[in-house]
Amino acid sequence: MATRKAVITVNRPREEVERLWREHDQGDGQAVSFRKAPGDRGTEIHLEIEQRGGKLGEAIGSVVGAAPLAKARDELRHFKQLVETGEIARSDGVPEGEQVQRKFKQRPAQPLPASERQEVGV
Amino acid sequence: MRFPRPIDATLHGATDYTVGAMLTTIFPKLAGIEGTESARQVRVVGAIHAGYSAMTDYPLGVVKAIPYRAHLVIDAVGAAAIAAMPFVTGQFRKGPRHWVPHVALATFELSSLAMSDPTGRGDYHGNVEAVRAANSETPARKIYDGRAVVAPAAT
Amino acid sequence: MRANVWSGRNTVQVENVPDPQILNDRDAIVKITSTAICGSDLHLYDGYIPAMKKGDILGHEFMGEIVEVGRGVSNLSVGDRVVVPFPIACGNCWACQHELYSVCENSNPNAGLAEKAFGHPTAGIFGYSHLTGGYAGGQAEYARVPYADVGPIKIEDDLTDEQVLFLSDIFPTGYFGADLCNIQGGEVVAVFGAGPVGQFAIASAVMMGAERVIAIDRLDYRLQMAVNRAGATDIINFDEDPDIVEQLKELSGGRGPDAVIDAVGMEATHGHGVVHTADRLKQATRSESDRGHALRDAILACRPGGVVSVMGVYGGLLDKFPSGAFMNKGLTLRSGQCPVQKYLRPLYDHIKNGDIDPSFVVTHRLPLGEAPNGFETFKHKQDECVKVVLKP
Repeated sequence: MATRKAVITVNRPREEVERLWREHDQGDGQAVSFRKAPGDRGTEIHLEIEQRGGKLGEAIGSVVGAAPLAKARDELRHFKQLVETGEIARSDGVPEGEQVQRKFKQRPAQPLPASERQEVGV
Repeated sequence: MRFPRPIDATLHGATDYTVGAMLTTIFPKLAGIEGTESARQVRVVGAIHAGYSAMTDYPLGVVKAIPYRAHLVIDAVGAAAIAAMPFVTGQFRKGPRHWVPHVALATFELSSLAMSDPTGRGDYHGNVEAVRAANSETPARKIYDGRAVVAPAAT
Repeated sequence: MRANVWSGRNTVQVENVPDPQILNDRDAIVKITSTAICGSDLHLYDGYIPAMKKGDILGHEFMGEIVEVGRGVSNLSVGDRVVVPFPIACGNCWACQHELYSVCENSNPNAGLAEKAFGHPTAGIFGYSHLTGGYAGGQAEYARVPYADVGPIKIEDDLTDEQVLFLSDIFPTGYFGADLCNIQGGEVVAVFGAGPVGQFAIASAVMMGAERVIAIDRLDYRLQMAVNRAGATDIINFDEDPDIVEQLKELSGGRGPDAVIDAVGMEATHGHGVVHTADRLKQATRSESDRGHALRDAILACRPGGVVSVMGVYGGLLDKFPSGAFMNKGLTLRSGQCPVQKYLRPLYDHIKNGDIDPSFVVTHRLPLGEAPNGFETFKHKQDECVKVVLKP
């Protein structure tokens, strides 16, 4: 079982990032650590991900869209967007925001019809 | 997923010349059929192929006489012909050296055709008259008649 | 609404698609009054940019009237006339705060895809494949503009659409190209490519005080526009004489131009000889995505110690980069997608003061329904086409 890290930097002071992460965290027991980024860059968040099944598990996971590392990265990106901009970036190709499952199954880049908007929850 | 046909007219032309040149010169020796009538057939095919390629209307053609799509049709017909040749003449009975190169060449030709884009890229398929009719601006006025839109910085 | 959508290589179609809606609080909906076809749209049209899907709405240069605002937008109201910059930037991340809007860290919801291609995600862009987020573009009747409190600029003057439309992309991009050259006054600047971005790069270099500005292209009518309208002092038509490096030496007293701007990009046409054929074969089999003739010649032509500023869009990898020339001559290579938001206000002021009239590049004004013909005409440079503006 290898451990990989998902890392992101959020443009906010460390106390604020830690507090917001505790509120936001789903608590699936991933080891998280915080570090001040150099200069005025904010705070680094480091998540440790356990990869099961070695290289084969990793490969299957990335195809099926369940890869824990990619999911963790998506979660970090969502958190960064919420904290910095107040919303999650949505496009017509990916109306739910960044999602591993959407990597190969994007919508066409045109507005959603009313029926799909309800599914997505906007 | 649409079947990819990445070979455009330029690449097809380059292949035509390369293959044509190779067939007439070194291919028989490499395939081990030197000295047989197979070698003669392959050489003739190569020469004909290079010949009509030079007369095709595509970027690498010399005399642009044959339309590109017609060239692709000739390719297909030629591939069928060279595949059939050993069986029609009966020479296939003399052993694999006398029909395998023909069939292999035909297969290569047909797969290259399958990957060739018949529009050849670079063909204009818009409607210039419709654009001119719909255009509410005059290109010549913007290009030749107007004055300079910037003044050089004061030094 | 009607929109111009990508339908495969060399095909665009105007189709009926749903109207855009507010998805986030900082969104706004713009009713588009004018939009344009960009040279970089041709890379999508020709199928060189991956991650395109049938039905993607194209177009990243547009302007119009606000018809709806999200709750988080307070600086714009319904009825405002705005020009929308093509990079989508949040304004809050470290990059945006340092005016690097075109590499915003938050606006690309396909960051995972972009990371695979470039190592890191860059900003979302309207109508430019799913690598830049899969946002619907502006060749349509309406568009949804994210982060509307950061991007669009309000136009409060009597200027026509065509005088301000190009603030969305090509005027800031050309200006950015010239800005990266660090022009102090008195330089010799060479611009590869006399398309719309090249015309603005030439005009910007003139405005900044360059003494000699050389336009390089193979189409005579574009070179004429560069001289008559944009202020170029010399032209090189490489169809007549393919040795561009030599001609640039002659025009600069043997020294080479002090700065070279590449406004050509990945579909360069002026290669000659074996390298060109090799490039075209590789591009046809998609084993090399970018043709680098303009960039190679730019590096070879620039004077030692000079600046090469790359505005032309490149997508992937190119072969035969002249690393020896680049390193030994001590060149500075600068590039990027233009951070339009940084330049909107200063360039709008230039237009208001009458320093430049950007509408000079428009040669074709067509209704949105003629977009497919417009693309073909623009791609094949028919009918002396320089820039096509579409009216929905």
